[in-house]
Amino acid sequence: MSAATTRKQPFLNRERRRILYAFLAGIILFIIGELVRPGFASPSGIRAILVVASFVGIVAAGQTFVILIGGIDLSVPWVLNAGAILMVTSSLGHDARAIPALALTLGMGAAVGALNGAGVALLGIPAVVMTLAMNGIMQGLTLGLSGGMTCTSCGAYAPPVVQAAVHHSFLGLPIVLWIWIAIIIVVSFLLAMTRFGRMTYTVGNNARASHLAGIHVSGVTIVLYALSGFFSALAGIMLVGFGGQAALGMGDPYLFQSIAAVVIGGVYILGGRGHYLGSVAGAISLTVLVSVLLAFNMPDYGRSIVYGVVILALLLLYGREEENG
Amino acid sequence: MPIPETILAASGPRRSRLSHALTQNIGLALVVALLVACIILYCGLYIATQHRLPGGYELTSTLNNTMPLAFAALAQTLVVLTRGIDLSVGGVIDLTNAVAALTLMGGPVSTTIWTIAILGIGALCGLLNGVLVAVGRLQPILVTLSTLSIFQGIAIKILPQPGGAMPPGFTGVLANPNVPLSLIYIPLIGILWAIFRRTRLGVSVFAIGNDAMAASSHGISVKRTTILAYMLGGVASACAGLFLAANATAGDATTGDTYTLTSIVAAVLGGVSLFGGRGSGLGALFGAFVTVMVVNILFFAHIDPLYQTFYEGLFLLAAVIAANVIGQIVRRRR
Repeated sequence: MSAATTRKQPFLNRERRRILYAFLAGIILFIIGELVRPGFASPSGIRAILVVASFVGIVAAGQTFVILIGGIDLSVPWVLNAGAILMVTSSLGHDARAIPALALTLGMGAAVGALNGAGVALLGIPAVVMTLAMNGIMQGLTLGLSGGMTCTSCGAYAPPVVQAAVHHSFLGLPIVLWIWIAIIIVVSFLLAMTRFGRMTYTVGNNARASHLAGIHVSGVTIVLYALSGFFSALAGIMLVGFGGQAALGMGDPYLFQSIAAVVIGGVYILGGRGHYLGSVAGAISLTVLVSVLLAFNMPDYGRSIVYGVVILALLLLYGREEENG
Repeated sequence: MPIPETILAASGPRRSRLSHALTQNIGLALVVALLVACIILYCGLYIATQHRLPGGYELTSTLNNTMPLAFAALAQTLVVLTRGIDLSVGGVIDLTNAVAALTLMGGPVSTTIWTIAILGIGALCGLLNGVLVAVGRLQPILVTLSTLSIFQGIAIKILPQPGGAMPPGFTGVLANPNVPLSLIYIPLIGILWAIFRRTRLGVSVFAIGNDAMAASSHGISVKRTTILAYMLGGVASACAGLFLAANATAGDATTGDTYTLTSIVAAVLGGVSLFGGRGSGLGALFGAFVTVMVVNILFFAHIDPLYQTFYEGLFLLAAVIAANVIGQIVRRRR
């Protein structure tokens, strides 16, 4: 152990190796898919899979932030769903109302996230309980206010601008992927190069020590949870752009997938270690895995089992705790 | 056998027995108070809307509806005490419920044998979780999230459509619609918990939840204790699956899904600490009753069912905040 700490860190340290593995897993799965069904890994096939992966990846950005400080956001499903419904009901499908609707929706996500953060940081509620309760609160509010999706404006379509942002291409790539690339750059820069990023890792490693070192721990926590809510709402907007309309339950798959993507990408679930690029790799690998299983014509239950087994296998490969005592 | 709790050493000699017991069991005292408040509110609303007191039918159906959640909360508590969390509770309930629907159809002998076998399946599920956590050194939340997916998949594989019919004897014993038999099971669980708490395993579970390193240096096998706690949790989840099947008189491979979250809610209301080492099975039991009573109250208060989860979420937060505040006040008064 002491030998390892004194040795100079190799370029491919443990974290970077994990990101590399996650990307390699994605590439291998693409090859398997191509073997099973020729055309799977064609440029258009890859593009389609990456678009689906971007939704998971955007949610995973927020999940990465909170997991980096040892938290977790279980309120993803209904913050996302509320965002999607708020987007269509406030814009009513008009481009002219798209910008206020976007601001309203993203603001709602950030505000709900900030409430999560305040509950965790100021009231000392465990993150699991706080975000679980918030998920219920958002579910009840969404269902109740929309009358179970029976309201007249609930059937509205997303503004054409938002739909275009998902479906149209720019320089050969769908615009949603450009948005994702921008998010990857901004989030990675934020975490690696800024004071805020360093504070995030410090709080994740030891909140008490960070507090003693003069870091405003509760402030950082609230901002990180607010970012998670923001990204959930953004994913909701992207999903209504993708599908055109909002639906109940559309956020449900994203809880499991966002956590799985973060973990596959080597972010340590108890906080303090990991990169968003890992979560990106995780999101892509997971989405390719699902597509490959679909290509095998695997029924739902089989996918569910393989999903669990693959994540366990990856965890056993590189998610193990150090032995102590 | 002495209970390794730091509070014991810190408590001064001036305090009376009663106040000591109250400080030790503040979580339990709170959930009992909460349950009493819920029952009074429920009866008040019932009289206001139905113009009579709730009777035997209401008692029996509330008890029968609560038993699955009570066992699920017990399962969750056993694991949370070791500083873990079990998200696969819902999956184990799905799986055992599905197996029950396929196998429980013969006479009393075959039903008994299969019931024991189903409890064994629960234990196996727990064993898998426990081994992955303790020997595989993986985080409980990730292990149980993955096994949840696996158990759900297997359950749907073996019972694609809801169905099966429970033998009348089975339903009559576990969820009798006419006689509140659960009034026997609840004290029984309480007694079993009191015994468990005093066994070597029970003490070890609390010890590793408080401080695994210290427990290990006192000769407790952390791995063995963790695995056994997950196994017992699996058995309790299997009980939940069986009671659920008895109450619904049929099986459904997705009916357990909601129990993952509600078991956490009930366990937290019951005073278990998510940081491990604190909580009780009795508290989980009461927490389950509070959770069910809240739904009943919302129903009789004519709250739009669409808003149900909104009020449940608010209630959970309010209860946790109140428990924090009262806990702090009590500790400061010492």
